[in-house]
Formats: sequence, structure tokens, C-alpha cells
Amino acid sequence: MPRLLLFYQLMVRPLLREPIRAGLTVLAVALGVAVVLAIDLASVAATGSFHSSMEALAGDNDLEITASGGVPEGAVGTLAALPYAIRISPRIEDYALLADTKQSFPLVGLDLVSEGSAYEQDKAGSGGELSSAEAPKDSIEYLEDHESIWVGSSLGRKVGDRVRLLINDRVREYVVRGVYPDSNGNESAIVMDIAAAQQALTRYGRVDRILLKVPQEPNLDEWQRRISAALPAGVEVRPQGTGTNENRRMLAAFRWNLRLLSYISLVVGAFLIYNTISVSVVRRRPEIGIVRALGASRRVILGAFVGEAACFGVAGALIGLPLGRLMATGAVKLMASTVESLYVSSRPGAIELNGASVLLALAIGVGVAVASAYSPAREASLVSPVEAMARGRREYDVSIHKVRDLWLAIMLAIAAAAASRAPAVAGKPLFGYLATILLMVASALAIPAFVSVITAFTSKLLGKLFGVEAMLASRSLAASLQRTSVLVGALSTAIAMMTAVGIMVGSFRQSVVLWMSNELPADLYLRPAGSPAADRHPTVSLGLAEGLAKIPGVVAVERLRAYEIRFQEMPTTLASADLDVLDVVRWYQNSEFLSGRPERQILPELRHSNTVIVSEPFAYKHHLKAGDTITLSLGETQASLRIADVFYDYSSERGSILMDRQTMLRYLPDPAPSNLAIYVSPDARLETVRTEIEKAAAGHRVLLFSNRELRSEAIRIFDRTFAITYALEAVAVIVAVMGIAGALLALVIDRRRELSLLRFLGAATGQIRKLILLEAGLLGLLANLAGLALGFALSFILVYVINKQSFGWTIRFHWPVEILVAALTVVYAATVLAGLYPAQMAVRLNPLEAVHEE
Amino acid sequence: MPILALQDVSKDYLSDGQRVQALHGLSLNVERGEMVALVGRSGCGKSTLLNLAGAMDFPTTGSVLLDGVSTSSLKDEELTRLRREKVGFIFQSFQLLHTLTVFENVELPLLLAGKTNVREAACERLAWVELEGLGERYPHQLSGGQMQRAAIARALIHSPIIVLADEPTGNLDTTTGNVILELLLRLTHEKNIATVVATHSLEAAALADTVVRLRDGRIEEITRR
Repeated sequence: MPRLLLFYQLMVRPLLREPIRAGLTVLAVALGVAVVLAIDLASVAATGSFHSSMEALAGDNDLEITASGGVPEGAVGTLAALPYAIRISPRIEDYALLADTKQSFPLVGLDLVSEGSAYEQDKAGSGGELSSAEAPKDSIEYLEDHESIWVGSSLGRKVGDRVRLLINDRVREYVVRGVYPDSNGNESAIVMDIAAAQQALTRYGRVDRILLKVPQEPNLDEWQRRISAALPAGVEVRPQGTGTNENRRMLAAFRWNLRLLSYISLVVGAFLIYNTISVSVVRRRPEIGIVRALGASRRVILGAFVGEAACFGVAGALIGLPLGRLMATGAVKLMASTVESLYVSSRPGAIELNGASVLLALAIGVGVAVASAYSPAREASLVSPVEAMARGRREYDVSIHKVRDLWLAIMLAIAAAAASRAPAVAGKPLFGYLATILLMVASALAIPAFVSVITAFTSKLLGKLFGVEAMLASRSLAASLQRTSVLVGALSTAIAMMTAVGIMVGSFRQSVVLWMSNELPADLYLRPAGSPAADRHPTVSLGLAEGLAKIPGVVAVERLRAYEIRFQEMPTTLASADLDVLDVVRWYQNSEFLSGRPERQILPELRHSNTVIVSEPFAYKHHLKAGDTITLSLGETQASLRIADVFYDYSSERGSILMDRQTMLRYLPDPAPSNLAIYVSPDARLETVRTEIEKAAAGHRVLLFSNRELRSEAIRIFDRTFAITYALEAVAVIVAVMGIAGALLALVIDRRRELSLLRFLGAATGQIRKLILLEAGLLGLLANLAGLALGFALSFILVYVINKQSFGWTIRFHWPVEILVAALTVVYAATVLAGLYPAQMAVRLNPLEAVHEE
Repeated sequence: MPILALQDVSKDYLSDGQRVQALHGLSLNVERGEMVALVGRSGCGKSTLLNLAGAMDFPTTGSVLLDGVSTSSLKDEELTRLRREKVGFIFQSFQLLHTLTVFENVELPLLLAGKTNVREAACERLAWVELEGLGERYPHQLSGGQMQRAAIARALIHSPIIVLADEPTGNLDTTTGNVILELLLRLTHEKNIATVVATHSLEAAALADTVVRLRDGRIEEITRR
């Protein structure tokens, strides 16, 4: 208790005397904690929900049977004929849009009659959500009615309501026959009889999945083997939930990278805690001496300063918790849309701030604060009482070893270069991350030398350019080398990450823009209305495609078809293009293949043959190259396909395989296309043709894009995808700028004697203000220079190592000059503005008190 | 006309809500070429008087005329200009900026006043205080006496009409302190400026042209030689 009282008197009370500075430090920690927590909560909510709707309705089954393009309906009969007591649940699984609200929901087609009786018989009561359906007794008669649906209670519909659903490119009306209680809105789905679903989706003769409940004996592997043996070669039997796990694995890189990016604010916050505790130690050297002389041990001193940092950590964590929860709400929307457009259908789940989240926040806040304060706290504990009580203020630069640190920095930079050459470990760019960390540490170590050199060479020049205040500012920064270095380190780290991510995203964007100019040769594109999730491939009525081809001015209609398939336990897209169309449309000259071979040479190899081209992310993930052969389960058969080449593709990280339409129809005979690419005659007016197409498509819910609109839409999705990274960078910069403001406040307090002396020597108040603003400006300039250099180096690692190893994309390096200049200008302006309040405080200092207090 | 004229000056402070009277109805004239020593116990009002004389503070009642101008009538910019042009300050702990060389410290008042080409003046002032050749050094490379000489050179750089020194020998040994006081006296006479020294030093009092003994904010005795 006495120790706590002493801690309060000696450590906490002084902090309360400087509420703004202490508040800024706490806020910096709070923002760091909040960002990490927000990304953690949001990534669980956004990526953890993709399985929920389908899986929640899957019940307690053991195995699932799938096949690319659907499982033949006959498999149900085959299974039923087996001499085993197994429960068989075939289902159709897709998505439907509520036509009035445009909300997307999973659409599940079940064999309601047989499943209902099976569940009824299953007295174990573990039959999933539908077993608890609040279906009125008379709803039984509607089970096989093709207009009947059952919905989750969170949809807010009641029995008898009429609901219009957009399924593929058609709107159909259904009647709600029952409402089942769903535990939360993410698990709600629209359920109908399997035959009705097949009809609505024109998926005759096939089901998407068959779920099996098998007896406990023998084991699951044996059941898997027995059932596989009874089914055609292309049909896969696997434990239920495998798809969910695969999806989760697929999302790992996305989640990892986002999570690591969220730590940047925390790193910047750590710099600032280090600075705050360093200032605290320097200011209290006399007090340290006194309490040491009065009997305090080194451990007590160490504990006191670590305790001070822990106070910042706890306070920051407590503020960071609600802040993180709030940020997560925004983050989850951005992340969910990215997951959907790049990976898999998903609806954000509920954000759950539980005990683990609170512990995580406290651990991060206190952990980072204590770790970053340890070094200055230890320095405080090593001060001898006599030295500490000696008159005069010891400057920070006592422990600076510029040259030694510079050498260390060079060695670390070399180590970073070596690490960046290493391959991925288990699909994760661990050495890329290591290279990034090494470079950041190298930069921090090199900054004292950098600041020394720059200030030494420029102080006179600055004096000539901006007056004596600039010279004084420059000298002051050089004299407080450790403090200056820490501040420049903090801000430059934030700027470097902003620059690196800016270059990476800018390069990526430019690559996408260039790629689209080659990949989108048609004049108009048509697809079913609804959200374009990466794993959803609704189809357009076949008749519509045929009708459009007859419109005057239309040269050709290319029918593209895509399926969600699995290859080597990873989800991917199998697509087909109508290569016959290439006979009548123009070719594009620019090669978009890794080999550099022209399109004109490669695509003809695909025609009517078991030859495919694969996307770069697919080839990278599965370690494939041109000339290799892959085996895919297609329909009821296993197809061996030769890879003609690898094409650049930025549309999805999942990877894709492209084959000729005729080849696909041999395995997957459903002729309905997923998209149409329409080529218009150069002699026809595009707008006139478009109007005719819209007329022909009346009655179909489709979206028609011109080439330019499609590109704009793609870029809009791209920008939305990366909005969260910009937001994370912005928070890191805000934390750093807050740190600069806090540090300048400390600087003013510590240098009040010097600033007052200047007043005695004839300095006007305006000159004092200018001096502090110039210091802020110089700090900003030094941080910008160091940050740009570090950011440039980091961008190489991001573009060529982390991105490549995480996602498999080749990005062409591009400087987004305008964005960088604008961002750096904003950061610089913010840094100077951060000096306004400290400058005002400096002006308000009473010079008499400050000069005479010695 | 005296360089500095304090006319019935009183100065009150508020300390913890209590009114404290630092100076009571004090009047004093200081002429060119005169060195005045303010002596008395700590807290007798020496530093307060110096602050008023240097236009760093204002009297509660009465007036302070610096070169005939009442400091109370001036705005902040005018006070800054007055200090830049007419007042030089010397402090007990030298108050040199350790980030600047001796030259740069000495030049600082002129640079703050926006003057250029000041090196010649700095060299001259350093010669006055016998610090030729040490201009490129930093303060920590000087002895205490040398630092105070540099501070005197800085106080004289802009050719002030009055120099105000607060315990200029307080951080020096007796011998060095005497040398500094003699230097101040010599420059006061040679450059025909007024110097007011607040001091506890008997030696300073013995050297000064005028000794003003303060007690509880009042002039107890004025001794002119």
C-alpha cells in the first residue's frame, strides 16, 4: 500500500499535471489497440460467416458428396440402394435475391417430405434448425408445392406473405408457408422443396450436395471409402464441413495480411510510449537520485517507470475497447464486400466483443506499453544517485551510438535483402514479413545518423532561407537527438507503410487497368442481376443469348460459363469461353500470358480439346506451369487437361481454369451461360444496339454494361477492396502525428528556459511560435524523407515478395505519384498543424519564471 | 536625462491567492557610464527591480522610464523592440545555448532582430571581453569565466544603453568573479553605458559607482562614490 501511494505521488500525479500530453499518449495506445481489435473482430465477423447459412442448415451429417457441375440425381438412388442404414439428404444450394430489398440469401432446396419424416424419426433431436420450424400443421400439404418457401424468422416475414425472389435472371413469386427460428440473421436462408429449386435454377437431373448421416461404426474413413466406391469417378465424398475449412484456409492470407497491417499503428504507438517514458526519465532524473539516495532499489525505479507505461497501456486498452468495437462496424462492411468479391459468398456476422477480446486488448495495450518502456526504464534504474542529483539537465544523446547503430542498420538491411529472396513457408510469406521487420528496425537504427547528417548540413542553409528561428530549430532537434530520432522513427514508420502500401496498391491498380484493356475485348457485357460474389455463377436463360445474336449490329455473342469447383482441396473457378467467336471478332495483340506467347497462338490450342489455360494465382498456388497436366472431377468423370499456358488474371485470388465451351459441354452439359460478351459491328451505333438488347432482355433480370462501364465498375470494386488498407494507414499516421504533438508539448516544457531566454534576448512572440512550428516542420520533413526511402524499399518487398507469395499475382511496379504527393502533403501539413498548440503554449510561457527558476 | 528612471514604483504579486508586495514606492535614477550594484538579502526585490528595468515586467503602480519611455505605455511588439535595441541581459548561470557556438550565441540578439552580416560585430564584442579566437567553440568547451564573458559579449552585441546583470558572479569563484566585475565596470565606463548588477557579492558592491541597498522591497540606502 505505501508503495502504491508513492507510485501515485511520484509517477501518476506528475502525469495529471500534463493532461493533454498524457492524454495524447493514452489516445495513441488506444488507437493502436482499437485498430488491432477492430480488424480482429471484423475479420471473424466478415470471414467467419461464409459457412453459416449453408452449414447451419446442414444438420448433424457426417459426409458430403459433391461434384463439379453438380452430383447426378441418380447418385441418390445408388446410395439408397446400398445395404447401409444411412440418412441421405440431397440438396440444391444457391443464392436468391429479395427482389424488393435486393438482399441476398442462401437458397436451399431440400427433399422436404423425406427429410421431414427422417428428422421426425430421429428422436435424438439433433436435426438442425429446420427441426424446430414453426410450421403450421397445414403447411405440410404445401411441401411439394413449387411456389412454397420457408424462411428464417430474421427475414421478418410471416406465413402467407408473398415474396418475390430473383433467381438467376428471373423474378418469381413465392408464398411463405413457414417461418423457422434462426439464431441470428446470418443464418437465415430461404428453403424450398428440392424439385422447386431445381426448376427455379434450371438445374434438372443434378443436385449440388448430398449430405449423409452414417452409423458410428465403422469409422468415417471407411464409410468414405465404401461410398466412394459406389459412386462415379468424378464424384467426391468427404467429411461434411470440408468446404468450410477449405474456404477458411483460402482466406488465411487475406486475414493474415490485414491483421499484420493493423499492427502498424501499434508499432507507431510503441515508438511514442518509448518517447514518453524517455522524457519522463530525463525530467525526473533529480527525483530518481533523491529516492535512490533515500533507499529505493534499482528494481523499484525500474518498476515505477514500467508501471507508468502500464498505466498508459491499461488506460489505452480501456479506451481502445469501445473504439475498436466501433471501428469494427465499419471495417466489417469493407472486409465482407472484399471477401465476397474476391473469395466466397459471405454475409457479415455479428461482431462479438467477448471476454477474449477484452483480454486481447489489455494484453496488447499493456504488453506494447511495457515492452517499449523497458529500455528507458532500465536506463533510469541504472542512474547513480549522485549523477542523477547533479545540477543541470542531461540531454538524451548520452546513450546514442550513431556510428555503431548505422553499421548495425546496414547489416540488418543486408539480412532483409537476403530474407526477401527466401521462398514462402507453408504458403505464407514469413520471410517477407521478416524482411519487412528487419528493414523497419534497420531504418530506426539509421535514423540518428540520418538526422545528425541532415541537420548538420542544413542548419546554416535553413537559417539563411527561413531566418534564425530555422537555425535554432535545426540545432535544437540535433541536440535532442534521441528524442528527435524516436519521433522521426515513429512518423517515418507510418509514412513508410503508407508509401509502401500506396505504391503496392497503385501498382496493382495500374496492372489491373492494363490487364482489363486486353481482357475485355467485347463492347457489351451482360450478366444476371444480383451481387457478383466470386463463388456464385447464376446463369442467363439460353434463349436470351440466342435471341441477342440475331439483333442487327451484333457481330457475335460469346457465351461464358463458370462453375465453382475444387482442385487439390482448394476452391477455384472453372470457366469456359466460346472460342468459336474468335473467328468473327478482333484479336488483341498484347500478350497477357506468362510465357509471352501471343493470344493468337495459344487460344486455338484450346479449341475442342482437353487443353486449358490457368490463371497465375491458380498456377502459383498449385505449383503448376505450362505443359503440366491436371486432373479435374467434372460431372461423373475425371478429366485430364493439359495446361497450354498461364494467363495473368486479377479478377479473383481463388484462381481459375479456362477451357473451350465445347470441351466444357462434353463434361458439364448444361448450356446456360453465366455471362455474355457481346461484340458489336464497327458500323453499328453502340447505343442503338444496346437499346435493342435491353428490349430483348425485358422480362429477364440482367445487368448490361458497356466496356467502359464494366471497367469502371471493376475499378470501383478494386478501390473499395483497398479502402480498408488506406484506413489502417490513416490511423497509423494519425497516431504518429498525435505523438508529434505530444512530443512537441514536452519539448516546449523542457525547453522553457531556453525559450524564455530568447524573449530576454529580444525574440518576439511570433518568433517563438515560428521556432516551434519550424521544429514541427523539420520533424515532418525528416520523417517524410526517411519514410519515403523506407517506404520505397518496403514497397519492393510488398509487391514482389509478400503479394506474390500470398496471392500469386505479378504486379507491375508503378509509382502513383499524385497519390503519394497528395498523401505526403497532407501528412506534412498535419505534422506542422500538430505544432500549433505547443507553439501557442511556448508563446504563453512566462519568461521571468522560467529563467529565474534555476 | 537618466537612462533608467524608476518613479515611485511598487510591484505586487499574487502568490497562492495572497497578495505579496515585492517593491514599495521605490524611486531610482541610473545614468550613462554608471554601474549600480543592487544589494540585499534574497527576496528583497533585486530581481524584481531588474525585470522592471528590462521591460520584462510592469510596475503595479508608479512608472519605469527606459531612455525616457514609460514601459507601461508600450505594446508587446514595442517592448520587444525596446529590449532588442536598448537592453542587454546577463544571468547568473550564463544562459548560453549549448547547441550554438560562441559566435552564434553572441550574434543571437542581432539575428533575432533580423540583422545580417553580424560576424564582424561578434568578433569585436568578443575582443572586448578578451575571447578572441574562441568564437567557434561550443559553450561546454569553455570555463565558467569564459562563458560569462561570452554572455557579456552577447549582452553588448546590439550596443544597448543599459545592461542588467542578475548575480553575474554567482556561479564563479571569487577570483574569476572579480575579473568579470572589473570587466563589466571597464566596459560600462569605456562604452558609456549604464549597468545594473543585482548581487550578494561584497566585491561587486565595492567596485560599483553606486550601491543601492534593498530591504523588504524598499531602498534602505543609496551610496554613491
